[in-house]
Amino acid sequence: MRAASVYWAEVRAEERMESVVLMGEEARGEAVIEACKLGDRDAFRRLFERHKDRVYSVALYFFGGDEATAADVTQQVFLKLFTRIGQFQGEAEFTTWLYRLTTNACVDEQRKRRRVQQFGEGFELSEPRERRTQEESVARAEVRRSVERAVAALKPKLRVVMLLKYFEEMSYEEIAGVLGLSKGTVASRLNRGHKALARKLGHLRGELVRDEREG
Amino acid sequence: MFGRHYSKHLSAYAHGELSSEETARVAAHLDACAACRTEFEEVRLGIRLAESLPSAKAPASLWEGIEAALVEEGSRERRRGSQTQPLVPSRRRVFAPAFAALLVALAAGGAWLYLRAQRPGWEVARVEGSPRVSSTLINDRGRLRVGEWLETDAASRAEIAVANIGQVEVEPNTRVRLVETRLTEHRLELQRGTLHARIWAPPRLFFVNTPSAVAADLGCAYTIEVDDEGRGLLHVTSGYVALETEARESIVPAGAACLTQPGAGPGTPFFEDAPEALVKALARFDFENDRAALDAVLDGARARDTLTLWHLLSRVPADDRGRVYERLAALAPPPAGVTREGVIGLDRAMLDAWKDGLDKDWLSWGESMPAVRRVWRKLWR
Repeated sequence: MRAASVYWAEVRAEERMESVVLMGEEARGEAVIEACKLGDRDAFRRLFERHKDRVYSVALYFFGGDEATAADVTQQVFLKLFTRIGQFQGEAEFTTWLYRLTTNACVDEQRKRRRVQQFGEGFELSEPRERRTQEESVARAEVRRSVERAVAALKPKLRVVMLLKYFEEMSYEEIAGVLGLSKGTVASRLNRGHKALARKLGHLRGELVRDEREG
Repeated sequence: MFGRHYSKHLSAYAHGELSSEETARVAAHLDACAACRTEFEEVRLGIRLAESLPSAKAPASLWEGIEAALVEEGSRERRRGSQTQPLVPSRRRVFAPAFAALLVALAAGGAWLYLRAQRPGWEVARVEGSPRVSSTLINDRGRLRVGEWLETDAASRAEIAVANIGQVEVEPNTRVRLVETRLTEHRLELQRGTLHARIWAPPRLFFVNTPSAVAADLGCAYTIEVDDEGRGLLHVTSGYVALETEARESIVPAGAACLTQPGAGPGTPFFEDAPEALVKALARFDFENDRAALDAVLDGARARDTLTLWHLLSRVPADDRGRVYERLAALAPPPAGVTREGVIGLDRAMLDAWKDGLDKDWLSWGESMPAVRRVWRKLWR
């Protein structure tokens, strides 16, 4: 039989790990942010794990699948976030603040790159390793690559709105909050983005329908 | 509201971002207008294309780079904090060693202050009198950083905001230190005095170290007192608190209390309205190795004192355990699957199963009773 002290130590460790998980989503988010403000490195890590994939996805598709740039931008975003988190007063929704940092970092990085290349032209697209699977059909991969290219070729102001909509699953109002635009402008830019994609990739309609049917 | 056609609003329509009136108007227009229907099909194709992009996974190595940059940033800040200015004029070379020593001292002091300021901390509010943090009087508000002591004299009281998970009231003549504040652990050390804690976080995020045991919050409100000899009393008013050492743990529900003593650790918990004779006998058993006192505890135990008896099962010598079992079983029969042999053998699963059946009753009993304070004072003072 286990000694009582060992038993309780195990229970304590399990309960401690579960305790943060058991908080409500909102309370947990607030607790993590407050702990970050206190300089808690574990909380930084937790915040990073929670948002990293979405920030990375936005950066990846903003830069047409360029993994190295997406990784750089993601690091910049989280470093800024951690060094400035004391300024976050909670008056703005945290995700609004985070994605404002993300879109600004993308646009800044793009400006730097404009000095050496014309943006939107000659992008070398690389397919992210994680998304390339043996099972994925060649046709499906081709559709995705085409969509990536088409998104990368959109004007930055349209691209940012599309990425916030499709990777952050934000409402029009939330996107408007992040970018400081009116809801009508967001609607208009999304409309233009959708039409641009459709016009460029209309020939993929059949492929897309077949893909959806196969699940 | 819209113009003749609705082409600018088709994405908002597809995403359900229009009001119900606007939605109805667009739907009616699409029925009637072939041009807008064609355009809507185009928008829908654009949406399906955008939705086909998968979310990407960030590389696992990203965090290492961020962490390294944070460490580097911290070092840079510290270097900036300790840099000195070339303030010594060459013609005063004779004073240079003294100046240098002074500057080194100032730099060291500055670095110390800087590092201290970087430590996480909690807000402290003065309630009355002159509470001090690290010997410095606080005005209406102050900050208690990790490692610092908060002290109140006979006329002072203070209130601490425990990160964002609760509050602690600090009574007069109390000395308390902030040991740790992290996402998964907030910990105070109570050297002497009285704290009232109200915690609204999940269990086991908030702890109070005392000289003889640690009070672990299990979602509750409680008062904990420590006297000058390091002896303590925990008094729970809501939820549960675990009073524990490495070797022993007492689970104390609302309405119950538990004594603790250096060298012995937490005693056996009891409901505050327990007969005084039982509480005294329990203290003799727990802290004076008086085995004979067990008889008085067993004789005096009422239905609600299953809390005390259950804890005693694992604390009495093996040859007394049968008597405790019989008394507990008489007050609250064990559930199916819990056998006498198993309990006597301290089978953990059986003890827990029995406790699970009992603790619903423990929680339903017990509003706080002032009697315990009188008993405690008689016992310890």
